[in-house]
Amino acid sequence: MAAGEAQSREYLRRHRLPELLQRLGALLLFHRPERPREFLIQVLERVRAGRRAEGEFPFLLDEANVDAMFSLLDVLGQGHIRPAQYREALKTLGLSTDDLELADDVKITRRVFKKGMRKKMLESWSVY
Amino acid sequence: MAEAEEEEDAAPARPPPAGIYAEEQGLFQLLQNMLEELLIHKPDDPIEFMINHLKQNNDDAPRICVLGPPASGKTTVAMWLCKHFNAIRVSQETLLFKEVLMQTEEAKAYKERNQKIPNALWANLIQERLSNVDCIKQGWVLEGFPENQEQAWMLQSSGIFPRHVVMLYASDTVLIERSGGKRLDPLTQEVFHTTFDWPSDPLVQQRLVKPEDLSEQEVSKKLLEYHRNFPDIFHIYQKVLKSINADQPSVDVLSQVLAFVQTRHRSDAPFTPRILFLGPPGSGKSLQAALIAQKYDVINICCGQLLKEAVADNTKLGELIKPYIDSGCPVPDKLVLKLLTERLSALDCLSNGWVLSGFPRDVEQGEQLQKAQINPNRVFFFHLPYESIMERLSQRRTDPVTGERYHITFRPAPTPEIQARLRQNPRDEEENIERRLNIYHSNIKALEDFYQDAFYVNADQDPYVIFEFIESCIIKPLPCKKH
Repeated sequence: MAAGEAQSREYLRRHRLPELLQRLGALLLFHRPERPREFLIQVLERVRAGRRAEGEFPFLLDEANVDAMFSLLDVLGQGHIRPAQYREALKTLGLSTDDLELADDVKITRRVFKKGMRKKMLESWSVY
Repeated sequence: MAEAEEEEDAAPARPPPAGIYAEEQGLFQLLQNMLEELLIHKPDDPIEFMINHLKQNNDDAPRICVLGPPASGKTTVAMWLCKHFNAIRVSQETLLFKEVLMQTEEAKAYKERNQKIPNALWANLIQERLSNVDCIKQGWVLEGFPENQEQAWMLQSSGIFPRHVVMLYASDTVLIERSGGKRLDPLTQEVFHTTFDWPSDPLVQQRLVKPEDLSEQEVSKKLLEYHRNFPDIFHIYQKVLKSINADQPSVDVLSQVLAFVQTRHRSDAPFTPRILFLGPPGSGKSLQAALIAQKYDVINICCGQLLKEAVADNTKLGELIKPYIDSGCPVPDKLVLKLLTERLSALDCLSNGWVLSGFPRDVEQGEQLQKAQINPNRVFFFHLPYESIMERLSQRRTDPVTGERYHITFRPAPTPEIQARLRQNPRDEEENIERRLNIYHSNIKALEDFYQDAFYVNADQDPYVIFEFIESCIIKPLPCKKH
């Protein structure tokens, strides 16, 4: 591989640009704004604000969505889900499940689920 | 009965799929351009960089190189392009005499001593000029650079990539002759010619001087050097380059240059063709549609065919349509539209794309198509002169036994036996052709206005020539006609 190409790949990896572009794409296709350029500017400014702890990162899922997700997983309406389901949910959203130390018989309640989700989403954006 | 119909009409429109949104907004290109800039500059703070890049909105600003041997007309082309696009012109003389850049003095010193300015110095000057805010915002036209491979590489490593490279060419004799008549206006730096391009303003005429370094010897020397360097440059910029013949009236040169710099190069953006072929009967729409469908795996929809199939299949709609077809009356727009909408929203059309010929026939139908959320992304108008239409249609024959279609002149029947039994479709009788043509012509102008971004096809050519033209229009993104 030519030196220039290796450098560029390293740059992309270091700043996690492919993931960022994918998120931008997802946001665009979900919201389908009339002026995509302005929309992207706003999204990036929110990332910048979130980075400085001045505002919220542009999460694709808001609290209502996370709630709905929990209800979908908790089919029987028991009020809790299994750790395996929790892991799957995180994986589906592309969030990391590395530092999850949960025994297999622990019950994940709605509150724990929502808190965990939020923490993971925040983490995933903080790298920017 | 009427109530049920109304309910069906009021059914909510499907939300447009994300794919159509992405295509219409050019999302792929938007993100790709941003990524390109990121990789060229590799800023430490990508987020900040991206915000600024998006705010600049200069994805379509021209980045053009105009190259060519001496006396080919580079200056004229470059100046014209800059006027048209309101871009910045950068050439040898603007770099040395108009601007004050960091290394201008050094460069001038070389010139004073009659020495050739080193490539690295030129590259630095160009790079500094092009990173100026006005070039970034308005775009630039680089005239006469890069002159050789080394300069080209240096420009590339400083991140300067032209989007279009215009390469003017003409034979040496023409060029030497031309340079004899070259005259310069010292005030505006415009280039004129004693024979080919004489200014109309007498004030300008009086000012004109002969340029300095222009003895026949000098020009021949420069020509030799140009020919030596040309193959390398051609090779480097192959993908974005177009050679344009400079030995034509300048109006023609300029219009070819403009058409070229407005094209967008083939991109990797996902693209589902939704093609409309419109044109008079006999212009070859169905043939081209079949060729495109075969090569690119898109669904070929002929309106007339669709109607007949619906009747033959005895579908609900088919039964409604049957009486019209039987009596020879035109099928009402509402039914046709319903049939089309159904067909075009089928899964195979949505995923592979489609090519539709023979509809819409007038603006009302076009508007209804739009309202039904069916928006073609390539529209072609076939143009064919009256005599050719007559010739093609009036000589059409069909063999009633095999169903094969023949043409008396262009595709005669192979044996006299077949020839004897050929029949003509009443539609192709002269007076009927006239009638169909009249209807077509009364509607076509409004349709041409309705589809602003359409392509015009000269249908009076060999089918494969036509096919190549249509193909290139479909494969490349729509040209950028902002200015």
